[in-house]
Amino acid sequence: MAQGRRRRRRRRSEFAFVLKLIITVALVIFVFEGRLIYTMFTFDSSDKTVAVETEDASGSIQESTQSAEPVVSDSMYLAGLADAGPAVSSTEPETESETEPLTEHDTVTNPDSSAIVREQEEAVDDSYFSDAVFIGDSRMEGFRNTSGIKEGTFFTSVGMSLDSMTSEEIISDGEDMITVAAALSGGTYGKIYLMLGANDLGEYSWSGFQSGFTSVTERFLEIQPDATLYVCSCIYVEEDKVATGDYINNQNVDSLNAVLLEVCEEEGYYYLDLNEVLSDGYGSLIEDASTDGVHLSAEYCKVMLNYLKTHYVSETEEDI
Amino acid sequence: MKRMTGVLCAVSAAVMLTSCGAKTDETVSIEIDALAEDLLETVASDSLSETASSLIASIYYLDEDAIASSVAYASSGATSCEIAVIESADADDVTEVEEKLRTRVDNQEQLYATYNESEADRLDSAIIKSAGAYTVLCVCDDTDAAEEILQSYGF
Repeated sequence: MAQGRRRRRRRRSEFAFVLKLIITVALVIFVFEGRLIYTMFTFDSSDKTVAVETEDASGSIQESTQSAEPVVSDSMYLAGLADAGPAVSSTEPETESETEPLTEHDTVTNPDSSAIVREQEEAVDDSYFSDAVFIGDSRMEGFRNTSGIKEGTFFTSVGMSLDSMTSEEIISDGEDMITVAAALSGGTYGKIYLMLGANDLGEYSWSGFQSGFTSVTERFLEIQPDATLYVCSCIYVEEDKVATGDYINNQNVDSLNAVLLEVCEEEGYYYLDLNEVLSDGYGSLIEDASTDGVHLSAEYCKVMLNYLKTHYVSETEEDI
Repeated sequence: MKRMTGVLCAVSAAVMLTSCGAKTDETVSIEIDALAEDLLETVASDSLSETASSLIASIYYLDEDAIASSVAYASSGATSCEIAVIESADADDVTEVEEKLRTRVDNQEQLYATYNESEADRLDSAIIKSAGAYTVLCVCDDTDAAEEILQSYGF
């Protein structure tokens, strides 16, 4: 009798042990895998692939990462450009373009200038840029981001102007912000591509810009004495899309480019007339080459890359 | 018997907890291209393009040898939007990758703050998250949608 009771008690005790164990395991699963269970029931596996169209024909590549047309907000305009208005100066740049009938327009003041880099018969590949450093503003950053260029060092900074490039700490080395000159001192480069101007339109008198630009290029070549200096022209804008600052206009772009070309002629630098392939032929950026009128879309960044690959100075030209 | 039950429960909980941790670190497998393309849908104000993978390490200050795979989409310069997905060769490196991505965001925010506050605000809402060996940076328009996408991928 007593033995039977002990057996029943033992069975009840074993049953309670198993029950407690099951409850504990269930609780642990619920607590630690609850998110997984939730995800299993809520995961949306619908196809969300993004249409990417790529067409490659002599540097003309269309790439779309959005299936719908991008919405352009006001805040987009001139991101990457200084918002300060033109400085007061006796030789102040023009603040408005005159509205005249469209006429064919040269992209350079002196088409025969020896400083202008001519098209080469053979295009180089990306390895040409392996010892190149690209310095510039948000347009240069956009070029790095979207052209597909695979080689090169980039010291870019949104909003970079001649002033900030000269003295401000605007380049990150991964820990601190340093000046462009300090960044340039950190390596040895065979080529320097310099793109400035978009943030300088209206900021200086042209003579002030010329002397400042000459000083900074001289400084860069002191740091990199063996480098070939390519000065990129300021790319035209699509004025109708530029929402902030009348001084961001193509008349000022032409004036600034005239200064850049003159510096190249005087100092023996090489001038890259990017507007040769980015102009609409009438002194403006090709229509729809940019969403905000200033920053080139990926398609035209690829055109620019193709231009750099076909416009370089050969070793024999450098020796002359 | 009660003591025995307690011990067994503790042991089983510990075993399950250990297995949970291991699952997070070692078995998370993500198709980085698919994730990046999904995150692209959270960017409406710009049209991002894929950046050459050979430049990603320098853009984000990462050690090239420490990256197993990576994909990045960036702006033409019109906005501060960008998306990067980095798979570290060693899952233990994700904290460092997160720090580098944070540095990138902080620097961009500092630069944008001087003249375009709305872009600086966007950078202020940047998402940086890790799962297993993967780390994501997403600077976009719709951060809620981005969070949902990341959650669906196990972040």
